[in-house]
Amino acid sequence: MNVPAKKRFGPLLLIAPAALLIGVFLVLPYLNIVLMSFRMPGQGTPYGPGFTFGNYGKFFSDFFYISQVINTLWIGFLTTFICLVLGYPVAWQLARGASAFRAVGYALVLSPLLVGIVIRSYGWTILLGNNGIINRTLTGWGIIDGPLPLMYNALGIIIALVHVFLPFMILPIMSAIQGIDPSLEAAARSLGASKVTSFRRITLPLSLPGIQAGCILVFVLSLSAYVTPSLIGGLRVKTMAVTVVDALIDTFQWPFGSALALMLSVTGAIIVVIFGRLTVMKWKA
Amino acid sequence: MTEVSIEKLTKDYGQGPAVNSISIRIAEGEFISLLGPSGCGKTTTLKMIAGFEDATEGAIRFDGRDVVHVPVEKRDIGMVFQNYALFPHMTVEKNLAFGLEMRKTPKDEIRTRIARVLDMVQLTGYSERYPRQLSGGQQQRVALARALVIEPKILLLDEPLANLDAKLREEMRVFIRDLQRRVGITTVYVTHDQAEAMTMSDRVVVMFGGRIAQIGTPSDIYERPANLEVAEFVGQVNIVRGKVGNRIVSTAFGDIPVSGDHAAGTELMLALRPEAVELLPVSSGADGVPAKVLSSYYSGSLVDYRLELAGGATVSVQTFPRTRFADGDQVLVHAPADRFWPLGSAA
Repeated sequence: MNVPAKKRFGPLLLIAPAALLIGVFLVLPYLNIVLMSFRMPGQGTPYGPGFTFGNYGKFFSDFFYISQVINTLWIGFLTTFICLVLGYPVAWQLARGASAFRAVGYALVLSPLLVGIVIRSYGWTILLGNNGIINRTLTGWGIIDGPLPLMYNALGIIIALVHVFLPFMILPIMSAIQGIDPSLEAAARSLGASKVTSFRRITLPLSLPGIQAGCILVFVLSLSAYVTPSLIGGLRVKTMAVTVVDALIDTFQWPFGSALALMLSVTGAIIVVIFGRLTVMKWKA
Repeated sequence: MTEVSIEKLTKDYGQGPAVNSISIRIAEGEFISLLGPSGCGKTTTLKMIAGFEDATEGAIRFDGRDVVHVPVEKRDIGMVFQNYALFPHMTVEKNLAFGLEMRKTPKDEIRTRIARVLDMVQLTGYSERYPRQLSGGQQQRVALARALVIEPKILLLDEPLANLDAKLREEMRVFIRDLQRRVGITTVYVTHDQAEAMTMSDRVVVMFGGRIAQIGTPSDIYERPANLEVAEFVGQVNIVRGKVGNRIVSTAFGDIPVSGDHAAGTELMLALRPEAVELLPVSSGADGVPAKVLSSYYSGSLVDYRLELAGGATVSVQTFPRTRFADGDQVLVHAPADRFWPLGSAA
């Protein structure tokens, strides 16, 4: 191969900064976590000498942890599904609606991201608490007798997560719909499809790449969310991310915390891969 | 087959009419082109026929039935879009089946009709391909097949050849025209390309500023344009001015007899197509007006000359390149009197 050295190394040189960043700050720490998950638990120290499979053994033998992964996944599924159902119409409006609505709509959609995560979560505690605005108002109007359990449960976590992650669902779907040629819907209409049918047969399947991206984003973000579940779930409902931090910081078990963290990552990754396989689009190049 | 009748059709978006009270009767099986520059209202008219735009006023009748309030999907039209609008997530077969499925056609009939239409557009064997796996010309033919397979009342085409390269465009002109004749479907074709409109249509509707300037056969439009705008839009034209006398117009080419009422003493414009003129060498001593060659452009089948007449007026002439004249040559220009067409009084 007589490719000049300059030409051969050019692309590598371009990738180098990003590769370095990912290598140093993502791959190496991950390898460190993998290594840590096999270390012996320590007495008064983060970890002891030697290696073991014991941390994983503890995870699989105690149904508490497995059920927590299942809980976390459920919260992720529900958050994703609700974001999809609530977000799609908004995305459609932003992509195809009147231009006057678009600028305001866009700002509104992004607004949850403009508030810091801690403040936003505390905001939800003010709204959702037993003595919170919602419960007090409903009791005041005589609609309910006692406070509804809106906080310290999965419901509260899902409400708060949906709020934050909606933009991550809306924006990819919006850009997917914007990329669909409006004349396709016109063609469907000319062939005898009603507006509803043309949406179902043309627009919806063609926006699938956006739905796919949005679902993966929201699902992954929900699994790894920490601040919102820990503030709103309190001590009663814990997601995996909260338990991982508990293990690392409260009980000082670095090896076991690492194992827990990896189990969450692996299950999440497997689900994302399966989802990707199920929603593969043959028509795309 | 369907007869389409458009009566006093108007579309106003609120800034003056985009289409201004136009009326066209389209016979069964006729191929009609709407021709005009962009913004002349031709596409808006097509969209109103299709049902994508509501008419502000007027009627659109398919076989006598007013369809103005019938939604697109109930009008039973076949439409070909400029960018083809093939469904990218469906194979050719699924694209073709779509309209039939909407009509609840039985599955085995769908299959036979798809096979027949694929044969018609010469794409047998392509049914499993996705649109992105087809060339522009093939996509075009699938779009045509998709519009025809539902056997609609009328076929509407919106600049369908605009995205093809020149050679393919000419092939497709012939292809579409032949197909339309074979199927015998009433067709409305929108284009800004006068050559396309001329070669394909039974009749051409020339539109300017939302109004119809002229409706006629291609030769009507070209040889007997209704006014200066039409004459200039459809091909090249020389405008020859002259003073009206007693049933004649005195021009640089001599006295041209004209019919019709033109007030004596006024100035009249006459259209003279560049290829209607003959160029002869001065030595021939033939009957002609002397002129000097200003410039010439050779394009293979034709040569374009710019000439200056003795009086100072310039004319464009197209000839076969059998005898070539060089720039600066003196020539004789022979324009037969019957090739002049009166356009109206000069402003």
